[in-house]
Amino acid sequence: MKKKKHIFSGLYIALCFIFFYLPIIITMIFSFNSSKSLTHFTGFSLKWYQELINNQEIVSAVYVSVTIAILATVISTVLGTVTAIGLSKSRKFLKEYLLNVNNIPILNPEIVTAIGLMILFSSIGIAKGYMTMLLAHICFCTPYVITSVYPKVRSLDPNLANAAMDLGATPVQALTKVILPLIRPGIFAGALLAFTMSFDDFVISYFVTGNGVKNISIIVYNMTKRTNPTINALSTIVIVVIILILLAVNIVPILKKSKERKFEG
Amino acid sequence: MKHFKHLTKPYIVWSFILIVIPLLLIALYAFTTGGNAVKILEFTLKNFIKFLEPTYISVFFKSVKLGLLTTGICLLMGYPLAYFISRFKDKTQDLLILGVTIPMWINLLLRTYAWLNLLADNGIINNLLAMLGISPISMMYTDFSVTLGMVCNFLPLMIIPIHTSLRKMDNSLIEAAYDLGANRIQAFRRIILKLSMPGVLNGIVMVFLMSISTFVIPKLLGGGQYLLIGNLIESQFISVGDWNFGSAISLLLAVIILISMRLMKKIDPQED
Amino acid sequence: MKKRFIILMAVVMSMLLTACAGGNSSGESQTGTGRTGGATLKIYNAGEYIDMNLISQFEEEYNCKIIYDTFESNEVMYTKISSGENYDIMIPSDYMIERLIKEDLLMPIDWSLITNKDNLLPEVMDLEFDPGNTYSVPYFWGTVGILYDTTVVDEADLADGWNLLMNEKYAGDLYMYDSERDSFMVALKALGYSMNTDNKDEIQEAFDWLVKQKSVMSPIYAGDDIIDNMISGNKSIAVVYSGDAAYIMSENENLEYFTPEEGTNVWYDAMVITNTCQNIDLAHKFMDFMLREDVALANTKAVGYTSPVASAFEKMKNTTFAGISAYVPDTSNPNNEIFRYQEQEIKELFADLWTKVKAQ
Repeated sequence: MKKKKHIFSGLYIALCFIFFYLPIIITMIFSFNSSKSLTHFTGFSLKWYQELINNQEIVSAVYVSVTIAILATVISTVLGTVTAIGLSKSRKFLKEYLLNVNNIPILNPEIVTAIGLMILFSSIGIAKGYMTMLLAHICFCTPYVITSVYPKVRSLDPNLANAAMDLGATPVQALTKVILPLIRPGIFAGALLAFTMSFDDFVISYFVTGNGVKNISIIVYNMTKRTNPTINALSTIVIVVIILILLAVNIVPILKKSKERKFEG
Repeated sequence: MKHFKHLTKPYIVWSFILIVIPLLLIALYAFTTGGNAVKILEFTLKNFIKFLEPTYISVFFKSVKLGLLTTGICLLMGYPLAYFISRFKDKTQDLLILGVTIPMWINLLLRTYAWLNLLADNGIINNLLAMLGISPISMMYTDFSVTLGMVCNFLPLMIIPIHTSLRKMDNSLIEAAYDLGANRIQAFRRIILKLSMPGVLNGIVMVFLMSISTFVIPKLLGGGQYLLIGNLIESQFISVGDWNFGSAISLLLAVIILISMRLMKKIDPQED
Repeated sequence: MKKRFIILMAVVMSMLLTACAGGNSSGESQTGTGRTGGATLKIYNAGEYIDMNLISQFEEEYNCKIIYDTFESNEVMYTKISSGENYDIMIPSDYMIERLIKEDLLMPIDWSLITNKDNLLPEVMDLEFDPGNTYSVPYFWGTVGILYDTTVVDEADLADGWNLLMNEKYAGDLYMYDSERDSFMVALKALGYSMNTDNKDEIQEAFDWLVKQKSVMSPIYAGDDIIDNMISGNKSIAVVYSGDAAYIMSENENLEYFTPEEGTNVWYDAMVITNTCQNIDLAHKFMDFMLREDVALANTKAVGYTSPVASAFEKMKNTTFAGISAYVPDTSNPNNEIFRYQEQEIKELFADLWTKVKAQ
């Protein structure tokens, strides 16, 4: 009975995974296709990767996506963590206000956030471009950091910072040496989430950009009108890098644990 | 200690400028006419009345219908998957969930483009069908392709909260149920299903809200004639140029979603 | 935990460095091997409307940087610049140029700086939308017509003219253009009205025609994706611009192009300089560059659209696009019209009705 159950569930899981990964795998396979065709694999070739590197537009877009994701992650993580810590010590009224305002970018449909920011930048008269895209990204990433860090901060003993300062630490030291290390998992989770949201973003970037600044999403969106195997090459690179990062982040600690166990055993 | 509360000051300013003011601006545009340059400030309900025209209301209902369909399919496919994954050993579960999450990390446009490849009239699936002697099916620019794209995109959002709920569940409860004479179906219905409800609700809400407001997937996989609320808003701002009407629709959408979230919170007061 | 963080940062940093090595430090440069030679030119053109190599060529020859953006339709272009986005050179269509002139958004052309002006065909000059070419320099021209698969479509049905697009025999097998003026043009002409009408009854009739077409024929409203789809033969009929037709027909022999007797839209796209242009001299140089015989030839060959430059036109007509009727715009039909400027009210009506057609 148990074996039957496992076969059925295993099969179902396998089917679902095929559903998830089929388009991705096909894309990766056809990125090595020597012809433009989407159906016939005529031969192995790296020419689309060659074209990808030579295509200045796409390379610039990758640069924009990556740099904005990193900058937005760093800034929003700092801003979010600092705010979360401050929130835990704030008065009830301020706490309610900030938490509700913070939820708005998360709950609002992306397109509404995007429109709002676009109208804001137009009204103020800021020329749309790299800066506006960065500001917009920080805007929607920070709430995710706050929602990741705040629960961790709340779970801390409220007297920790006081205790540290009683023992002679300055407020800054209490912050960096006592509180931060304890909420590190939350900060890390928030930063990872911020990075994903930023790198993946299309809608908000599409509406707030200008001056020819484009990220990966916008370039792909423009290129979908014509058959473009170069996008397959780009997809493959992005997929491989992401899988490597995720594996590194998740498997390394598992390896570390089993190493430690080996030592103990 | 008291110093720490000042740490919130930067975000108070930031959030006001970049979160609150944009919303106020949308509201301002929604209630006025006069185009992009807000020179003429005449307050009017014209934009909202325009939305009540039958064509636009039908766009709204079409979006809701698609949202319900997507959510339903995600639930039917996602619950079993989450359940089966939760039956494995902890380490395997971690790996499987990682496998489910990876596609979410890959840029949405790239993933949707990958589906374009597969579903194209001269794409792989049709090619395979041709090899089997079946005539090619036109899959692109249909309800089918849009729903497929949405389900594929949002399914992880349904699976993960359900799985989290199931994982937290105490297995001894099920053991106890069997001991007390329940059969498998009863145990499932009364205990497992009930305890996973928070996760299910979470998943349903997330998938539904995201699917009624999406515009990229319908545009790429559905073509110009596929007009959902998200597409309608986008077209008002990008090609038609009626920012007032577009803002009115955005405001309506935002309000509807906020109200739904409030209702959801009332049904399930658990904070995530 | 620390180790995990370091690894993550390392991978992310290496990604950044790789992107840096391939890309430009400013992150704003768009195309070509363009160098930071001081001047920048911002160009806004229709999608799939230029040989991208020419951009790099210009950047190299004139030691400048070009920021190149594309729009899906004239309406999108207009909305974008209304929202505050500024460009130096834009390449809109006739009626849009008329609007830009009326709204005082353009700078007059200094024809003394256009050394290649004698290369131009006389028939593309001095047209009603811009008398004397005060503000525009011709870029491409052509017609709108029906592209059809000769192996599927019955010759006899072509006599229906635009009503071929309402023939149930071909339901589910056609593309219409996702553009309000072009689609309404088809409907108005099918009903025998002028495409520039402001008669609300006629417009309403055209709306009804389009709504009926949507329910009977289930057309796909597409843009540039028509090109590869028709080359692959995914559908049998499409409403296309003559240039796209020429390109598609050169890749797929089964296709033919015709313009109905009821009349069609003859259009002229041209380069204009905006009032906000930062570098007027460079802008003129670019327009002059596009009229150079070798450049115009390369452009028309790559894109398929009919060149306004005489030598390029003659060469393409007789070689690459020989026998392809779409390349030579047939302007003889008296029922053909050029799009003219629409009053704001009519423009909004069209936009609203087109949204409603798509929402059916």
